[in-house]
Amino acid sequence: MEIQVFHIFRNNALGRETLLQSIYFSVQTNANLSVYVPEHTKFLMYFENDVVQVDLDSSYLTQPETAVERAMALAEADGLVPRRVVPQAFTASTLPDIPVNFDFMTCPRTVSDLSSKIGLGYIGPRVRRIVKCARFPVLIATPVFKPWTRLAVFFGGSVNGVKALKLGFRMARMTGMPLHVFTQADEKDKAYFQDIIDQEGIADTFEKQVDTWDVFTSGKFEDNLYAVPHDALCIVGAYGHGVIKDILFGSMVERIQATLPNPLMMVGPNYAASVGG
Amino acid sequence: MPTRWLRGLPIWKPIWSSARVAVKRILNLPQSSWNLFRGDDRLLLIILGVMVGICSGVAAVALNRALVTMLEALHPLRHHVWAIFIPGAGAMLSYLFLEKVMKEGAGHGVPEVIYSVSRRGGLLRFRSSFTRLVSSCLTIGSGGSAGPEAPVVMSGAAIGSNIARLFSLNERQRITLLAGGAAGAISAIFNAPVAGLIFAMEVILGEWASIHIIPIAIASVAGCEISRMLQGNQTAFSHHHFSIDLPDIIAAIGLAVLCSFSSILLTRMIRNMHDISAKTPLPRWVKPAIGGVAVGGIGIFFPDVMGEGYHAIRSMIEGSYTQGLMLIAVIGFLKIFATALTLGWGGSGGIFAPCLVIGSFMGLTYHRGLVLMFPGVDWVNEGCFALLGMAGLISGILQAPLTGIFLIIEITGSYEVILPLIVVSALSTTLSHSVEPASFYLKDLVMRGQLLRPGTDGRVLADIGIPELLETDCIPVSRSLFLRDLLKVIQKSRRNHFPVEDPETGDYLGMINLDDMRPYFFNPVLYDTVLVEQIMNTDLPCVHPAEDLGTVLQQMDELGLFSMPVVSNGRFKGMISKATILDRYRRELMVQTAH
Repeated sequence: MEIQVFHIFRNNALGRETLLQSIYFSVQTNANLSVYVPEHTKFLMYFENDVVQVDLDSSYLTQPETAVERAMALAEADGLVPRRVVPQAFTASTLPDIPVNFDFMTCPRTVSDLSSKIGLGYIGPRVRRIVKCARFPVLIATPVFKPWTRLAVFFGGSVNGVKALKLGFRMARMTGMPLHVFTQADEKDKAYFQDIIDQEGIADTFEKQVDTWDVFTSGKFEDNLYAVPHDALCIVGAYGHGVIKDILFGSMVERIQATLPNPLMMVGPNYAASVGG
Repeated sequence: MPTRWLRGLPIWKPIWSSARVAVKRILNLPQSSWNLFRGDDRLLLIILGVMVGICSGVAAVALNRALVTMLEALHPLRHHVWAIFIPGAGAMLSYLFLEKVMKEGAGHGVPEVIYSVSRRGGLLRFRSSFTRLVSSCLTIGSGGSAGPEAPVVMSGAAIGSNIARLFSLNERQRITLLAGGAAGAISAIFNAPVAGLIFAMEVILGEWASIHIIPIAIASVAGCEISRMLQGNQTAFSHHHFSIDLPDIIAAIGLAVLCSFSSILLTRMIRNMHDISAKTPLPRWVKPAIGGVAVGGIGIFFPDVMGEGYHAIRSMIEGSYTQGLMLIAVIGFLKIFATALTLGWGGSGGIFAPCLVIGSFMGLTYHRGLVLMFPGVDWVNEGCFALLGMAGLISGILQAPLTGIFLIIEITGSYEVILPLIVVSALSTTLSHSVEPASFYLKDLVMRGQLLRPGTDGRVLADIGIPELLETDCIPVSRSLFLRDLLKVIQKSRRNHFPVEDPETGDYLGMINLDDMRPYFFNPVLYDTVLVEQIMNTDLPCVHPAEDLGTVLQQMDELGLFSMPVVSNGRFKGMISKATILDRYRRELMVQTAH
């Protein structure tokens, strides 16, 4: 079945940059783009075991009379015929329900707060909850559109890290772009991570599809991130372990999102990854 | 939790492990303790039902206490003329709290709970477990004409839903706990466990599946018990003995007519107020204040229309309500008007308590009318008709006769009125249903096509997506193919349909159907002269994978089609046929109706 990318259109200059990234992603992956032009400042997303209310920043409703036309024009300029998502169901009269049966979703770092918060180190609470609940990965767009020409996966050996790796394989196949893997080994050695890859049964695919695998055995993780290509789409597993572990040991994804200015593809704990998929 | 700590200590590990295995062998339990609950859903649901009932009971008691405190605090101010602004201020604050602070997207509460059961697998937002308590406290406590029941139902249901989410329960279990929360809330606020159970089954779930009954009953008991512990075991209205005779039962028929008329009037007036409010060009936060001030104005002259109004019911049941016939009738209709003003203009609260008040006014009016017209008949005490009126109104507006009957019996402790109670409730429900086919809670959902009870045609169709039904074994053919080559393709295929695609772009162009080709088969001269594009059907309507199956089936019926092509982004994706739909429909129906 065809791949669907979901985008919430914000009718201003920042929203244009985000939409350009959705369009670029759709073109690269040969996916269909589904665009939601909001008419209310909030909507609900009903996931399998949770419901997320997204309270949009009021700038999403700027000049509603031009929003649809602008969104469609941007997509059509790149040869896409986007499908407009029109809510069919409402929990309350001003609270539409948005479908969640997509394969990818694009989001800026925040959808609920002022756009002054779009800088590094901040991902809004709504975006985080979507990543945690969704069965699809979420592309966290950069403030300004810049085409990416390669893929970088962060693999730390966790369950979500494996999911990110599998998504990396899938993306590499869909886009034909080179795939780089980065691992912060700390006290472990490369063999430890190789074992995990073997146990997951993805060693052959790893061998075939990964162009380079950088394992950092020394240095601070944030400093090592300099090695990540500037034009890479970074794929990272997120929120795979509990709050206490995050507080005690820190979260890999938090350090990445606070350091790297690249677009991030965040793979949440509910993403159902497969090597073939 | 302590066991987890014990397991973490190395010295305890072997002891703990051996003890656990031994106990489980003796008791013949599954080897994983969690599996004990996982293996037997009923036990897990009963335990969680207790938890949900306690939490929703506490929520109901908290709202009750807050309302009493607020009403008592504002009571000394009621005699001032400016007190008419108090309900307006309360309703406005309530709206601002819900919309601006909590961003709730407010409704009346119960319809959202039913929608969640019907369409969203019982998922409710966590914030709904407390927002309506605060907002309804502001509206009702300041004098708005509404009841606290719908807010506590919303709160209890949200508690149940979120506890189910916390334990990662499946959809059916989540719905059971949601209904348990609603039952616990009603049970706690009225001290009426049976009414809580019946309300959850009859109104919230709309089905009497045995799988739901026990956990909901347990939650209802837990809610009631926690309320009794915190507030004492008292019925809302004191018990009085009524001696019912045949004339009273016959007279109940007339009361049912009056109650159904009143319930239809209330339903329509709330909707009309809603429409008028929507058309009024004022900021949304001002509108509840307008409704509230209007109620405050009425309340200056008729204080019984304000708030939940239980004090008036008490005096009516006791037979000590001293106003005359006309005045009682006027107050009854003013209560309908005040409730419509409060809820229709955006105040937060429920319809339950106003129904009880309006019903008792209607019952009293009717009784006094009877006494006036037939002074020679030995009628039962007027308090009895107040009770019957309450049941009639509840049954009429909710179209849930059992809820009406059991609620009145439990909150008054008057079982001897059961016969006329059944007559009034049954007739009021029937008459209201004949004029308004959907109840107050369901009307919006029915109009939006979102009331889909499990096992109904609409629900089954809504739960099947087009992508699940795709038949992808059709062989696509090129537009430039000659008929001779097409015949070779037909020989290899098991299907009657052949999508025609553009060889360069891959775009779908039309469809070849075997039935359409019969005239060409028997004329070999045409084999090398006719191209596929000349005979393909380009008028066949297409379906998008995201389309609603119900709409697609309707289209098929209207056009007399057995199958349709599914096309997305200009590309052929497969066929959808009635045979596949029927097969999938049966499987889905079995899943939904399996208990």
